[in-house]
Amino acid sequence: MLEKRILIAATIFALAVAGTIAMTVRMFGIGLPTCLTDVRPFREGKVIEQGPKRYEIHYVARMWKFEPAQIDMEPGSTADVYVSTADVTHGLQIVGTNLNLMAVPGAVNFARVKFDNAGDYLVVCNEYCGIQHHNMAAHIHVGAKPPAPPPLAAAEQQPVLEKYGCTACHSIDGSPSIAPSFKALYGSKRTLANGTVVTADEAYLIESITKPDARVVTGFEAMPSIDVAPADVHAIVEMLEKLK
Amino acid sequence: MKIESGLRKIIVFEIALPMVLLIIGIMMGFLQVLYRAGIMRSDSFLGISYYQGLTLHGAINAVVFTTFFAVAFGHAVLRFHLNKPLIESAAWASLVLMTAGTVMAAIPMLTGSASVLYTFYPPLKAHPAFYIGLVLLVVGSWVAFFSWIPTYAAWRRENAGRKSPLAVVGIFATFIVWFIATIPVAIEIIFMLIPWSLGWTQTVNVPLARMLFWFFGHPLVYFWLLPAYVMYYTMLPKLAGGKLYSDFAGRFTFMWLVAFSAPIGIHHQYTEPAIDSTWKFVHAFFTLLVAIPSLVTAFTLAASMEHGARKEGGTGLFGWWRKLPYLDANRWLFSYLFAGLFIFIFGGITGIINASYSLDNVVHNTAWMPAHFHQTVAGPVFLAYLGGSLLLLSSLTGREIAMRKLNVWIPYLWTLGIMTFSTGLFIGGVNGEPRRTNMGLSYANPNSPLYQASWKLPKYLGAIGGTIMTIAMLCFFAVFFATMLGRKRSEGALDLPVSEALHDEDVKAVRSFRPWLVAAALLLIIAYTVPFLDIARAKYEGAARFIPGSPVAQQ
Repeated sequence: MLEKRILIAATIFALAVAGTIAMTVRMFGIGLPTCLTDVRPFREGKVIEQGPKRYEIHYVARMWKFEPAQIDMEPGSTADVYVSTADVTHGLQIVGTNLNLMAVPGAVNFARVKFDNAGDYLVVCNEYCGIQHHNMAAHIHVGAKPPAPPPLAAAEQQPVLEKYGCTACHSIDGSPSIAPSFKALYGSKRTLANGTVVTADEAYLIESITKPDARVVTGFEAMPSIDVAPADVHAIVEMLEKLK
Repeated sequence: MKIESGLRKIIVFEIALPMVLLIIGIMMGFLQVLYRAGIMRSDSFLGISYYQGLTLHGAINAVVFTTFFAVAFGHAVLRFHLNKPLIESAAWASLVLMTAGTVMAAIPMLTGSASVLYTFYPPLKAHPAFYIGLVLLVVGSWVAFFSWIPTYAAWRRENAGRKSPLAVVGIFATFIVWFIATIPVAIEIIFMLIPWSLGWTQTVNVPLARMLFWFFGHPLVYFWLLPAYVMYYTMLPKLAGGKLYSDFAGRFTFMWLVAFSAPIGIHHQYTEPAIDSTWKFVHAFFTLLVAIPSLVTAFTLAASMEHGARKEGGTGLFGWWRKLPYLDANRWLFSYLFAGLFIFIFGGITGIINASYSLDNVVHNTAWMPAHFHQTVAGPVFLAYLGGSLLLLSSLTGREIAMRKLNVWIPYLWTLGIMTFSTGLFIGGVNGEPRRTNMGLSYANPNSPLYQASWKLPKYLGAIGGTIMTIAMLCFFAVFFATMLGRKRSEGALDLPVSEALHDEDVKAVRSFRPWLVAAALLLIIAYTVPFLDIARAKYEGAARFIPGSPVAQQ
């Protein structure tokens, strides 16, 4: 019967395609995401140098940044990448490689990637994670061996900024981001969207935290409103004064 | 055929309401391509934010429009092919539930308190009304389905020994797949998301919620596709001037999809933790098996069209392709179905790429994915649904189709748009461009530190294609609403094109759903038992509530 022969041919076809997939995975050692039920979700991003050209990276994805944000490696390095999320579901793709992992709350994801070519690799979040999703990215630089990383930034010793996720958008070292940097902000002159110039004094900063859309600096979007406890508002302003 | 005026009103309402909403959905789609190309560099337009618009685009186009059409089309097919009155009270109840659910879900979406996209992945939380509205919409469609069962059973008793009409088999396959699909998502929404969004429970098990969602998510696409298949098998050969090449091919396709559309959901989760690689591979294999009926369909329909074209004087190995009624205003539905089939060739091939475990790694969650599902859902499915809506509207209200010349061109314009749009997204996706991302503020914005100059060309192709698609839809809305508001020519009746079979095989194996339902149950047990046990045993830490606008967990 013709139908029977077609069915047999179709089944052979499906088996052949499935076999090819299994073979490519084995032969090319494609780092498929692996289930890790024995690793507790971590909250601290880090890079561990395990040997020459061998790295272990712990990426923490959170709204709306990856930690660590910048990693340097030599060409030919192999990295074991572990991903955990501190809040919602995120995606982590190192553009230009086969590494594409989802960060799912409660579980840790893993894959291995080898950087054969030097260059700057963009790490993008490719799962919708809230209103600043499009700004969630990190960088990997593959080139000559870099200098030792700078000491811990001030904000990481300041839990109040972490508590409200401020540093997701506001840098503390003056580097450009989607929101004004906290560095040298206190007391500076700010130009608003309507052209007027204000001084970022205590009153203005308190207003910007509690009523973000009241007076927005030109070139930036209004911050989403975040319910900050009154005591913490003052702690944040004090912190900004220190970063002057 | 004359039908009851109550049922006529129900069907026309179920066609017209989502068509009005679709205007919003299409406009939101148009804005997406402008944002993504960096032509619009803003987080909102007219007070609707990017991600809110994206939620509306997905929810209206892929959930509301499809569900309403499937129910309306089901009513029409059963009434017409069984030639028996339906249970009208149930049809009304279904209509009321679906409309109430849509309104309930639309309010939080329009006010910006449910910008969680149409996949509503926890722990991003929407307003509880969003979830409750979705449940009502689904329950409404169940009511319609259940009410058809006694009518069909009565027909079978009265026509013992006769084969059921192919279209009826197709509609039942559609709703069996829908019923299987919606049980896991109902469990996710009712037992996990609603109590959590209301604050009754504090955390949600995200790996479990995701597995339940994708248990639903893949058969969902077959629920979308099956009504289009019904139109392909039972109308297209007739419109092409011929007969359906094989009746068995149609029945086999419907039955096979009943069995195989559900045990493959994990192919959406290849890059996720909490699922063993072995089970991902099992789902990959089952996914390839579900490509079989689509290939059967492609060859059967090509043979049916060839039969029609040869009857109309077509000759040669390929010469007969010239004899198809591409632009025949009297057989306008042919252009909608044919254009959809053309797009589906590419949608089907990219689907096989996505299903291939290792290839998915390159394209998962990139712009490649929306390109693929626009070539499937926004290709054959969408065009068949538009054509079907127009057919039911003009037939049931007794109005002639307005702008007949323009009407036959719409599907080809749409095809040009969707092919351009998806070519851009395919290229962008392979180069790492993420989907669901307001790129106008970052990757497509030269003032942003994240600007990616090399993604420029694909983004512009996306914008050009999206613009053509929007123009095609503006033409369609003009035709649809001009028809609706046009002058009544006749009383209004239910008339559907019906294809005869060229080879009317009688194969016992496809005469009853029973063995295929048993197969579906067995396959689901094989495919999902261990993955669910794995998640239950691992005891993942629950996730708190988050809203899209704040990085801090909500109380």
